[in-house]
Amino acid sequence: MKRIAVGTEKGAYLLKGSDSSWTVEGPIFPGWKVTAFGRARDGSHLAAVGSNWFGIGIHRSSDFEEWVETETPPAWPEGSGRKMEQIWAFHDDGERLWAGVADAGLFVSDDGAATWAPVPGLNEHRTRDDWGPGFGGLCAHRILTGADRIWVGISAVGCFRSDDGGVTWEAKNEGVPPVDTAEDAERPEVGYCIHGLAHDAIDPNRIWRQDHRGVFRTSDGGDTWTRIEDGLPAGFGFVIWRHPGTGRLLTVPLHSDGSRVPVDGRLRAYVSDDDGDSWQVAGTGWSDSPQFTGVLRGAFGGDESGGFCFGTTGGKIWLTADTGETWRELKPAFPRIAAIRILE
Amino acid sequence: MTVRVRLPRVLTDTAAVAPRHEVAGDTLGEVLDSLFADAPGLRHHLLDEEGRIRPHLLVFVDSVRADIDTPVRQDAEIQVLQAVSGG
Repeated sequence: MKRIAVGTEKGAYLLKGSDSSWTVEGPIFPGWKVTAFGRARDGSHLAAVGSNWFGIGIHRSSDFEEWVETETPPAWPEGSGRKMEQIWAFHDDGERLWAGVADAGLFVSDDGAATWAPVPGLNEHRTRDDWGPGFGGLCAHRILTGADRIWVGISAVGCFRSDDGGVTWEAKNEGVPPVDTAEDAERPEVGYCIHGLAHDAIDPNRIWRQDHRGVFRTSDGGDTWTRIEDGLPAGFGFVIWRHPGTGRLLTVPLHSDGSRVPVDGRLRAYVSDDDGDSWQVAGTGWSDSPQFTGVLRGAFGGDESGGFCFGTTGGKIWLTADTGETWRELKPAFPRIAAIRILE
Repeated sequence: MTVRVRLPRVLTDTAAVAPRHEVAGDTLGEVLDSLFADAPGLRHHLLDEEGRIRPHLLVFVDSVRADIDTPVRQDAEIQVLQAVSGG
């Protein structure tokens, strides 16, 4: 890891360095929320910004220094009754660039983020009238592609899958309890507060899910989900990541939806080396002092080398360069962190 | 009519547009259309999905709060202000 993009409540920042020495550049987009980072097909960096005054925007840069705002970001049509509140995620599948937004919806760009088209099969899904927001709003925040399928996580609606390139979509939440409903209650088609998705690099149909109601996995592309929380201090949280080489899983548990801070203030990542059958504290380096801070759903990133970092609502960054064996809290402090991306 | 428009720096710095513009129009709506012809990327920052001035913005024409239909005079001074909020 040499460069890490940090998106916060008040601007973006660029961390440059390695190991114990990091410098900070920024703020970029001062005064604006920076809610997601991405890359376009031509290698351009993308940054999604938002403002309570001025709405959303997308900026492009070839070098993360000089930025140009695009003129036509994703937009809901006049008369739709929906507001474009935030861009939550970008995902480049190798051919098309996808964006998940709030009010919840999926948009796609075939020209590197210059223009966007809505995906009506999902945005106008027959269950749309029953979609409701979670604490973070009604948002499409996670996009996965692979094996000719697309998965999208929408809170507090659930996981949807398309097997035909995004034309039609089906909710895929069997085995996950809906939010605020007893485990054995009758199961609605939507109403699942999904927080994160990560899939296997070799078999995209193997997916791990950090949900409001716990941690789950599927081996059949989401047709059925199984709870996997053995060893975790809590099932609640937002982070789920799978290292593409070793398959090590990583999550950061939080106490509950009521508190959203680590159990007893013990901020720790947990890892699993058996596909989620069991979990244990990830390595060493954690603070002995209470850390009553949270980690938001976009505030983490990892790379193939084993680099991984997450940012907290308290504005601190925790980092590992060895897939979770040793951890370091970086000295710089930032505003509330919403997005992280390891650039290189 | 030609009028002068002043935009907030928190917007113009990030959107990379000038904070002051001279544009034409007989109503505030026409003035904004002229502004957007020069700087298309400003439209979605100043207007919402229904074409209304965003709810946390105020626009003043010669120091009087205005809306899209407000008429403007020659040499009018138009100022866009954002609400003072946040931490």
